[in-house]
Amino acid sequence: MVRTIEEMTPVDHACAVADSDEHLWEVTAAWLAGGLTEGERVLYFEDETAAAVLSRLTDDRVQVREAIGSGQLVVVPTQRTREILSGPVDDLERLLHGEIDRTLARGWPRLRLTGETVGALLPSGDADRVMAFERGTARVLQQHPTTRLLCRYDRRRWNERAIDDMRRMHDTELVSPAVYDDNLLRITRSGSSTARLAGEIDHSNRLRIKTLLEAMLDQTLRSHSAPTDVVLDLSSLRFLDVAGAISAVHAAEEFPSTHRLRLVGVRPRVLRVLDRCGAPFAAQLVVEPHPEPGDPAPGDEPEPALR
Amino acid sequence: MKVQTTRGSQAARFSHAAGFFDAHTALIGQLAPLATAAVGRDEPVAIGVRPITEEALRHLLGESVELVSLAQPDGLDPDSGQTVASRRARQLRTLTEGGTRPITVLTEHISQFDGADGGFWTELDAAMNIALAELPIALTCFFPELPLHLAILDGARRNHEQLLVSGVPKDNPDYRPPRAVLAEQPVSAPAVLGPPDLTLRFSAWQLHEMRAQVQQALLAAGCQLEHAEDVVLAVNEVATNAVEHGQMEAELMLWTGAELVCEVHDRGILGDPLPGLQAPHPADPKGRGIWIARQLCDVLHVWGDAAGTHVRMRTTR
Repeated sequence: MVRTIEEMTPVDHACAVADSDEHLWEVTAAWLAGGLTEGERVLYFEDETAAAVLSRLTDDRVQVREAIGSGQLVVVPTQRTREILSGPVDDLERLLHGEIDRTLARGWPRLRLTGETVGALLPSGDADRVMAFERGTARVLQQHPTTRLLCRYDRRRWNERAIDDMRRMHDTELVSPAVYDDNLLRITRSGSSTARLAGEIDHSNRLRIKTLLEAMLDQTLRSHSAPTDVVLDLSSLRFLDVAGAISAVHAAEEFPSTHRLRLVGVRPRVLRVLDRCGAPFAAQLVVEPHPEPGDPAPGDEPEPALR
Repeated sequence: MKVQTTRGSQAARFSHAAGFFDAHTALIGQLAPLATAAVGRDEPVAIGVRPITEEALRHLLGESVELVSLAQPDGLDPDSGQTVASRRARQLRTLTEGGTRPITVLTEHISQFDGADGGFWTELDAAMNIALAELPIALTCFFPELPLHLAILDGARRNHEQLLVSGVPKDNPDYRPPRAVLAEQPVSAPAVLGPPDLTLRFSAWQLHEMRAQVQQALLAAGCQLEHAEDVVLAVNEVATNAVEHGQMEAELMLWTGAELVCEVHDRGILGDPLPGLQAPHPADPKGRGIWIARQLCDVLHVWGDAAGTHVRMRTTR
């Protein structure tokens, strides 16, 4: 069964196939945020990826510090993740059983898991080892049907056949289609007049922005019910070069007077470039800074490592 | 019939004149009437002169008259005339209140900045011609009749549209536009540095890797995040230019000593000898990258030679 991230109703053992790093952070953060919203205890096994995932959660307006502080969100550090995954499958199963018991004993309704498993598994093994771990976790989930697990596969590491094999082991696949993803910049659309940009815009992909804005404006103008603002969510845009900023400012200047271009969730670094490129003087351009920018660092969680 | 023009009705434009002097008293004798006239017109006066000259001017004009001191060459790359021009242009643009208020600028040749051959002055004046072209500035530069390097006089005669003769500006038949001047006397390379802390080659599709490496090196060297991000933006714009114009690969070198220095080298031919000095027109998407990079760096020196185009950027931590 295929579902989009938006309709992520309770699923137990889901998989997602990611096209790029940005896609990985997007689907991982959505999965973790879903657990936090539902009041579940959430475990994330990082592999030098916590900064990227926590940063994406912050972009998505998730109160990361509070979640870590209260013990609801636990980030399992890289070294521990690698230890667990380099050991026997039995140990992983025992550890998961222990964590599930602990979760319930502390009054959380259930446990939700995901993590960076493939990077740690692959150097010491192959697809068979990944499948063995999959079967191990599937056994744990059978005994604890309320526990939720998301397994993510990176399309750049696996061939289609391997991915199909892994898909069959999961009852749900989470998909989030992108209109563009070059592994530096990922563009997703939600509605005719809203798009989200994640990653970096530079010389190699800046023409995409022009094309995207023209298409969005056309669609907005043609639709009678569409709002008069074209909105670009830049919460996860980490770099914008000068020519990219100029093209956004120009695009807004060429909008019909009835319409505006709104850049929302803008990070300080991108904001400074826009300011230098005349954004404050473009009448039809609205720039809204991110309310809580910054990349929270992990490390102050009260439960540093799993036993 | 007598035709009168009032300053208010006349659209002030950039003018650039050179005057020559044999003795310091003669210099003061020529500077004083220009400064007094500007004060009479209620124009701000900016100066780039020796301390002894500044003192004499202040004495003549009285303490109540404000003289704005222009940026002088400093730091480890003092020979970069384009860097000094860029800094001065920024100061003067503010002083003209965005190009709406005429100002008078008076400068004097200072031999300590001659460098090896006096080429600094030719580069500075050519760069001022580009950087100030659209501002209502009356710039008059004074040179000794016999400087140590005669190339200084050659440059002065080609860079100034007017020459002062007995205090009166006359059209200069030897004047050449700045790019022609620099075609004859190219901008010189800065002093060679030791081995860099980071060297990498990159193409147009590897700019993000270059940015990540430069940012990492800057942060490791103790640079504050916001400053590091601004330096990375400057480097990105210079690097983009390097790979944008047909050349597949460019090379970057980074020194993270007491000051941060970054050089970008490509094999392309330098089209505009002094890019990014002129305020980019809002409708023109080109040229703003280097303009912004110049504002983000203490030094941005562009030069070209048979091997290609080179840019050195320098900033404090």
